[in-house]
Amino acid sequence: MQNVTIKSRAACLLLLISLLFVGMDGNGQEQDERAELLEQQKVLRAKIETLRHEQDFLIFEKTLYATNSKYLIIDLGTKKGQLKYKNRVLKDFRFTASANGAVDAFKPGTLTLTKKIEDPGKRHVLIFGKSLVIQWKRPAGSPYAANIPLLSLSNRDFQPIFYAVEEGAKAYIMR
Amino acid sequence: MTPSPVWAGEATALVTIDALREQTHAMEQEAAVLEEENRGLMKMLKEMEDDDIYLVVDTESNRLTMRQRNRIILTAVVGTGSRQFVEEETGRNWYFETPTGSLTVLGKERNPVWIRPDWSYVEENMPVPPENDPDRIVRGVLGKYALILGNGYKIHGTKYTELLGTHFTHGCISVGDKDLEKLYRSVKIGTKVYIY
Repeated sequence: MQNVTIKSRAACLLLLISLLFVGMDGNGQEQDERAELLEQQKVLRAKIETLRHEQDFLIFEKTLYATNSKYLIIDLGTKKGQLKYKNRVLKDFRFTASANGAVDAFKPGTLTLTKKIEDPGKRHVLIFGKSLVIQWKRPAGSPYAANIPLLSLSNRDFQPIFYAVEEGAKAYIMR
Repeated sequence: MTPSPVWAGEATALVTIDALREQTHAMEQEAAVLEEENRGLMKMLKEMEDDDIYLVVDTESNRLTMRQRNRIILTAVVGTGSRQFVEEETGRNWYFETPTGSLTVLGKERNPVWIRPDWSYVEENMPVPPENDPDRIVRGVLGKYALILGNGYKIHGTKYTELLGTHFTHGCISVGDKDLEKLYRSVKIGTKVYIY
């Protein structure tokens, strides 16, 4: 009789342990799937972000094709820019970029030329609100560019661009 | 263009596995829609492109480039409008500037003849002859070729090659002989000329 009780107790214990393992296994599977889904979402989030930037630029190009305005493409990755009219390149140029103390500088996207300053000392400047200043390289800092991200071009590249664009012209920053 | 799904972000611990699956699916769909839209936009932009040669004249640095798509085929040092002002005693005046904007090659000439305009006489303090006076016809000063841009403006050769790279013309675009020949052979009537 005592032997039977011990046997049935052992059987119950075994059943409990196996049930516990089964439960743990199910929970483990869910954890694995959860981790996998989160990783997938991370990848997708980055992909969507890239696709959105790409779309933003494509829409910019499409919109500017329909206008009569010259515009600038500024590629921070290659440090190269283009002056364009419709879908045609008018000029290629190189630049150096400086965040110039600005936090969150050079956000990709569209900028508008808000002011052209034609300085008598040929210190001409193109100002895109608080987002960007374009000028030609020279040793002294620009009085117009305090805490505003700055692009410096050679004088030979900058002068034609300065006269080619009008206030209201667009520029697109891409990374 | 595409609505954003609500992402689980860091609060995923509270989200059920089913909700997480749905969110992932929504994100996959959003990415697919964006890819499809971008493909359409790229196709549209591609269709706007062409293989036509076009000319770009930079009047600030006096350079002309012949381009095709993103390729530069030729870069030439040119002369553009002097930005000088000339006034006649009668009050008539002229400002010598190269016109900017989007122009088109309207014609091509070999051995172009220059019909001296009134300002050329005024500039030299000479009496202005009648309109059809044969004295106005001058040969050999515009080089071997000319590309007609309209309103009296042309891309042509010059005798003053030492001045190329400066603002010395009366509005036309002067080019050296070798570059002019290449331009003449490459450019067609209808070729776009962008001057800025």
